Amino acid sequence: MRLSEPGDALVFEAGLLLEPGLKDKMLWQQKTYGIIRQYGRTALKQEIENVHQKLFTEEHHQSFRQKIMRLFSKK
Amino acid sequence: MNKNKSIVKTIEDREKLFIALYKSVFPAVVKYVSKMGGTFDEAKDIFQDALVAWYEKAALDGFVLRSDEKAYLFGISKNLWLKKHRQNTQHVPLDGFDIEGEEQATLSDSKILNFLQTAGKKCMELLRSFYYDELPLNDIAETYGFSGVRSATVQKYKCLEKVRETVKEKSLTYEDFLA
Repeated sequence: MRLSEPGDALVFEAGLLLEPGLKDKMLWQQKTYGIIRQYGRTALKQEIENVHQKLFTEEHHQSFRQKIMRLFSKK
Repeated sequence: MNKNKSIVKTIEDREKLFIALYKSVFPAVVKYVSKMGGTFDEAKDIFQDALVAWYEKAALDGFVLRSDEKAYLFGISKNLWLKKHRQNTQHVPLDGFDIEGEEQATLSDSKILNFLQTAGKKCMELLRSFYYDELPLNDIAETYGFSGVRSATVQKYKCLEKVRETVKEKSLTYEDFLA
């Protein structure tokens, strides 16, 4: 995820000392970034699974399916 | 490659990309997993985990694709397999691709996520494009139909504040419930 510039970080730390509520806001912001990341990853996994289903069910991907199944039968 | 124009702006772009990667790399992963005594489902799980790890790294790099991208993705898949099935305590370096090591969501986080996936979908999609897909602001503005970058930025901050307040409110509610 994108981070602040070093100078901005120093100004921010000074702000934390002057405004206690800012620390609370910062903690919830960090938690929110984590939730956004989980949301993104969950959505991405679903998109990848949808692609997998397309490749293994749709007619025009049949040759690809056959190629994969042949690889598993070669033991 | 021009970093200002992402190749994966939309869900359709990502679908084309994943189809191409599946067709070019999955056969090699299947061959490897089969050789190692694994099943089709194991090959599928490993490859899909590798795709997520690959995507997250590529997003940080602005999707500037390498000439050996396919070999790179295969390497991630192989290392994930080795890590999952290592026989001894020998460390298998993963160069930061260990998505299993990521923090596990708490029950409260899962509930908040479920809530936001429906009630806050519009904002979450915008925030996802910025913070997870790492798309350039001009691409986000174009994809979501904003008049320009400034308008997209204003909406991003509004959404971030809205989601933060929701996260705080729901977290406190769920903690009280679970306590």
